[in-house]
Amino acid sequence: MRYGYGYFEEDKLGKVADMGLWRRIISYSVPYWKRLATAILLSFVVIGASLALPHMVRLGIDRYIVNTSMEISLRIGGLGMLAAFFIGIIVAGFVANFLQVILLEWTGQTIMHEMRQQLFRHMLGLDLAFFNNNPSGKLVTRLTNDIQNMHEMFTSVIVTLFNDFIKLIGIMVILFWMNWRLALILSFLLPLITGNTLWFSRLARDAFRAIRTQLARINSFLQESLSSIAVLQIFTRQEDTYKKFTELTHAYLQTNVYQIKLFAIFMPAIDLFSSFATACIIWYGGGQIIQEQMSLGELAAFLAYMRLFFQPIRELSQKYSIVQSAMASAERIFQLLDTSPAYSPVRLEPDQPDMKGEVSFQHVHFSYDTEQVLSDLSFHVAPGKTLAIVGATGSGKSTIVHLLERFYAPDKGTIRIDGQDISTLNTQWLRERLGLVMQSVFIIPASIRENILLDKEISETELNRIIDKAQLAGVVKQLPEGLETRIGEGGLEFSSGQKQLLAFARVLARDPLILILDEATSSVDSATEILIDRAIASTLANRTGIVIAHRLSTIRRADHIIVMDKGRIVEQGNHEALMANGGIYRHLQELQFNHSEPKINAV
Amino acid sequence: MSVNSTLKSRQVFSGKNLSLLAPVFRRYRLRLILGFTALLGVDSFQLLTPRFIKRAVDALETGKASNALLLQCAGYILLLALGIACCRFLWRYLIIGFSRLLERDLRDRLVAHLLTLDSLFFQRHTTGELMALSSNDLAAVQLAAGMGLIASVDAMVMTLAALGFMAYINPTLTVIAVAPMPILAFSARFLSARLHRRFKRVQEQFASMTEFVRSTLSSVHLLKAYTQEQFQAEQFDRMGKDYIRHNLRLSVIQGLLFPFSGFIGNCSLLLVLFFGGRLTVQGTITVGDFVAFVSYLFMLTWPMTAIGWVTNLFQRGATSLSRIKHILEQEPELHDAVSSESFTVNSGTIRLNRLSFTYAGQADPALEDVNVVFKKGLVGVIGKTGSGKTTLCHILTRLYPVDEGVFFLDERDVNTLSLATVRATIAYVPQETTIFSETIQANIALGKMDASMEEIERVAKAASIHDEILAFGDGYQSRVGEKGVKLSGGQRQRIALARALLLDRPIVIIDDGLSAVDTETEHAILQQISSYLQGKTCIVISHRIAPLAEADEILVMDKGKIVARGDHQTLLAGNTFYATIYAHQTDSRARKG
Repeated sequence: MRYGYGYFEEDKLGKVADMGLWRRIISYSVPYWKRLATAILLSFVVIGASLALPHMVRLGIDRYIVNTSMEISLRIGGLGMLAAFFIGIIVAGFVANFLQVILLEWTGQTIMHEMRQQLFRHMLGLDLAFFNNNPSGKLVTRLTNDIQNMHEMFTSVIVTLFNDFIKLIGIMVILFWMNWRLALILSFLLPLITGNTLWFSRLARDAFRAIRTQLARINSFLQESLSSIAVLQIFTRQEDTYKKFTELTHAYLQTNVYQIKLFAIFMPAIDLFSSFATACIIWYGGGQIIQEQMSLGELAAFLAYMRLFFQPIRELSQKYSIVQSAMASAERIFQLLDTSPAYSPVRLEPDQPDMKGEVSFQHVHFSYDTEQVLSDLSFHVAPGKTLAIVGATGSGKSTIVHLLERFYAPDKGTIRIDGQDISTLNTQWLRERLGLVMQSVFIIPASIRENILLDKEISETELNRIIDKAQLAGVVKQLPEGLETRIGEGGLEFSSGQKQLLAFARVLARDPLILILDEATSSVDSATEILIDRAIASTLANRTGIVIAHRLSTIRRADHIIVMDKGRIVEQGNHEALMANGGIYRHLQELQFNHSEPKINAV
Repeated sequence: MSVNSTLKSRQVFSGKNLSLLAPVFRRYRLRLILGFTALLGVDSFQLLTPRFIKRAVDALETGKASNALLLQCAGYILLLALGIACCRFLWRYLIIGFSRLLERDLRDRLVAHLLTLDSLFFQRHTTGELMALSSNDLAAVQLAAGMGLIASVDAMVMTLAALGFMAYINPTLTVIAVAPMPILAFSARFLSARLHRRFKRVQEQFASMTEFVRSTLSSVHLLKAYTQEQFQAEQFDRMGKDYIRHNLRLSVIQGLLFPFSGFIGNCSLLLVLFFGGRLTVQGTITVGDFVAFVSYLFMLTWPMTAIGWVTNLFQRGATSLSRIKHILEQEPELHDAVSSESFTVNSGTIRLNRLSFTYAGQADPALEDVNVVFKKGLVGVIGKTGSGKTTLCHILTRLYPVDEGVFFLDERDVNTLSLATVRATIAYVPQETTIFSETIQANIALGKMDASMEEIERVAKAASIHDEILAFGDGYQSRVGEKGVKLSGGQRQRIALARALLLDRPIVIIDDGLSAVDTETEHAILQQISSYLQGKTCIVISHRIAPLAEADEILVMDKGKIVARGDHQTLLAGNTFYATIYAHQTDSRARKG
C-alpha cells in the first residue's frame, strides 16, 4: 500500500485507446528495441514450450503406449527418446522464462529511471510560481507512484499481455485445425467471457479505489491521533477519538466486504465458463466421435488446451486495469513535462567579472496574483554595507529576497547589481554570487562535511576556518565521528539552532558577494543565540548584506534600516535616528522590552 | 508428506499468540465452520469432476457411448460446476470476510489500548512504529488468517486426496511422481523468504527516494538559491540506479520462484510419462489409469506451490501478531485512580513537594528536588533547553506518573484523583502545537465541543487570530491540512492559545506557547488575555524575559533544579544567568566586550 505524504490522488481512469499517448510512451522504449525484441523472441520460446507439452504427452500415448503393433523394447526406447526431448523443452522453457523476466525488469527499470530523471530535472528547472501553485505532495506522487504505475505496465503487462494474446491465438489455431466445428461452438463463449471480464474489471477497480481511499483515511487519522496523543489525553478526547476511529474501520470493513463479494461472484464465474466448455466438449465432441468425425486423442487434447485457454483469461481483467491506471499516470506525467517556466532564464554571463556588490531597487512593484505586495519600492545598498529590513509579518520583507534571488520577476521597476539589471543576467551566475540564509535549512542525508560543501570543493584548512567562523567547531568537536557524522534522515537530528549555524557555514564556503539573511523568529536557547550572533557577524564581514532582522543585535549592526509596512517603506535611517524619530520603529523596539507597558496582570 | 508438520510451525500455533485470536475465532465460529464446509465442498466436487469425464471417455473408447449418456455426463459436469461456484462464493465471502472482521477487531482494540497509554510509552515508541503496526502488521495477520488459512486447508485436502487416488492406481509410480515435489516445497520456502527480504529492500529504497524528492521539492527555493539543481539531480540519479539494482535482485528471485513450480510439475510429468508409460507398455496399468494418473498429478502442482507460500505467510503473520501482542500487553505506568468521588477545585493551588523525575535509561534526573507552590497569580519559568521546563509541564498535566506525597492539588494528592479530574482543572498550551485536520472551529473547540460561535470568536479575538481566520475562504469553517488552509507557526500557536482560553479553567499553563509569534503580536495578545487570566493560577514558560517581567515570581531552572527564584528586579540584581539573558535580549552591546 502506498500513500503519499498527506496527498491522496484521485484515481482517474486513463484512456486506453489514446494513440497520441501511446506514441509518446513508445518513443521512450525505442532506444531499447533490441532488448524488447529479444524479450518477444523469448516469449515465443516460452509459449512454444508450454503448448508443446500436451502435444508430447499425446504423442507418447498414441505412438508408443497404446501402439501394440510395435515391439515392447522399441516402444520403451521411443518413450526414452520422447522423455529426452521433453527434458530439453522444459529446460528451454524455464530458462527462456527466467531470462525474459530479468530482461524485461532491466529494460523497464532503465526506461523508468530515465523518465523519472527527466521529470525531476524538469521540475527543478521550473520557477517558484509553479511550486506555489502545486502542493509538493502532488509533485512527489508524479515522481514516485505515477512512474511506478507506468513501470508495472511496461514489465508485467505489455509483454505478458502480448504473451497471453499469442497463446490464446495459438490455442485457437490448434483447436480450429483439429476440429473446426467444435472450435467454432467453443468460440461462441468468447464474447461472453470478454464481456464478463471487462465488466468485472471496471467494478473491481472501483472497489479497490474505495478501499485505498478508506485505508488512507484510517492511516491519516491514526497518524494525527498518535502524534498528538498527549493533547488528546489532556483534553480528555479519548472516547471521542475511539468512536471516530471505529467509524472509519467499520467503513473500511464495508468496502472490503463489497470487494470480497465481487470477487466471490466473478472468480467462480470464470471457472463456470471453463466447466461449461468442458461439458460442451464431452457432449458435442463425444457425439462427433460416435459419428467418427473425431478421434479420442483429439478430444483429450481439446480438454487439455481448454485448461490452458482459461489460465490467462483469469488474469486479463487485472492486467487491463493496470493498463488503465498507467495511462492515467502517463497523461499526468506528460502534462507536467509540458509545463514550461513562466520566464526563460538568460544564458548570457555579464562582461564584468569583478563585481563590487552594490544593490539597488528602483521603483519596484510586485503582486502575487491580484494581491499587491510591493509598491514603488526603491532603496540602495552601497558595496560592503549592511541594510536591515524591519516590519511586521506580511509587510513584504520576504518578497524583496525572492525578487533579488530572481525567484520571481517584478511587475514594474528594475533591480540592479553594480548597475546591471538582473533580468539581463544569467540566473545561475547571479545566484552563485548571492548567499542566502533563511529560517528553514535543507539537510541532505549525508555527512556534515557533505552538507557544508554540497557541490563545492575547498581545502581542508579552508574548511576548518569556515567551521570556526560559523561557530560549528564546538558542535563538531563533540561528535565522535566529527565532520563525518551523518545528519538528516537516518542520522543525527540537528537542532534548529545547529541548522542555522550549518547554513552560515554553507554560505561561507561559497564566499558570495552579497549575503541575504532572513533571521529566524523562533527563539533558541541563549547559548546558541550567542553562537548565531557571532556567526552572523563573521558572515557579514566584508560583504554587502541585506538582512530581514528580528534580533536587536543584528539591527544595531546595520548601516541603514528600512521599516516596511504594507509593501512600502515607511521609515528609514540608522538605529539612533529612528529611535529619536519616535515612529513605528521605536514602538516596535519598545515592545521588545519595556516596563511601562502593561504585561500579564493576572492578580 | 510433511504437510502437517510444515504448517504447524512452532510460532504459529504456539498458545501464546493464539490466545490473542481465540476470542475472535470463538466469536465468528459459525461463520468459520460454514466457510470451511464450503471449502471442503469445492474440493470434493472438484475431485468428482474427472470421474464423469472418465466415464464419458471410457464409454467412447469401448464404443458403448450414446448421445443420452454423453448429455448426462455433460449435465453432471455442469451441475458440479454450479455447486463448485456456489461453494466458492460461500468460502470467499465467509472466510476472507472473517479475516477482515478479525483485522477490524484487532485494529479497534489496538487503538483503544493505545489511547490509554501514557507519554512515557509514546516516548519509547515512535508514531511511525505504531503506524506500521496498524498498517503492515495487521495486514500480515489478515493475510495469514484469510488466504493463509484457506490455502493451507485447501492444499492439505487436495494433496491428501490426490495422493490417495494416485496411490490407489499404483503406489510405486506415485512415489516416483512425487519425488521432485519436496524440492519444490523447500525451494519455494527458501526463495519466498528471500523474495520477502528483497522486496522489503526495494520498498525501503522507494521510500527513501520518496523522502528525498519530498525534501527537495519542499525546499526548492533554497536549492535554487544555492544553485544545487545539478547536484540534487545527480544524487537522485544515484538513488534511482540503486533502485534499479534492488529491483533486479528481486526479479532474479521472482523469475526463479514462479516458473519453478511449473518446472517441477513438468519434471513429475516427465517421470510419469517415462516410467508410467513403461508400466502401461508392460501391461501393469491400463491406459485409462495412465490418463487418470496424469490428471491427478496436475492437481498436485498448486498445493505444492502453496505450501512454501503459506508457510511464509504464517511466519510473517505470527511475527506480526507477536509484535501487536507485545504492544497490547504494555501497561501504563501512570495509573488512573478509580475514585468516583466528585472533586471541584477551589483555590487552584498546586504544591510540588520534593519532585524528582528521571527518564528511563537516563543517568541524570530531568527534575531534581523541585519544591514550589503555584497559587493564584502569575509564575514565570525560564531556563535553557533541557533544563526540565517541559518535563515539569508534563507532570503538571498528569502525562507522567508521580509518587505519592509529591504533587498536591488543593492539598489533595493527585494520585487519589482520576486523571480526567485533574486535567479538567487545567488549560494547557503546549510547546509543540497540535492542529488537527478539521475545521478551525473544531480545532478551537477541542476541549469544549458544544461551545457557541460567540464564545469561539471571543477567544479567537483575544488570541489575535480572529481577523486572520476570517481572511481564509470559509472563515471558521475552513479546513486545516494539505487540501485546506496552511497555517504558519504563529497562527498555529495562537489557535492553540484560543483553544486553552475557551476552557476557562482555574489553572492555565503556557509552555513557551508564543515563541513563533512576533513581538508586536505577542504584546497585543498578552494585553488582551490578561482579563481572562484574572484570578487564575497561571504558569508561563518562556524564552523571552519581557512577558515574564511582571510575574509575581520567576523560577530559573537549570539541569532539572530551580536555581533561583524571585521577581524580576531581584533576579536581575542577584542572578548572573538571568542578567545575561536579559542583557542579550535588550541590548547586545552590553554583552559584547
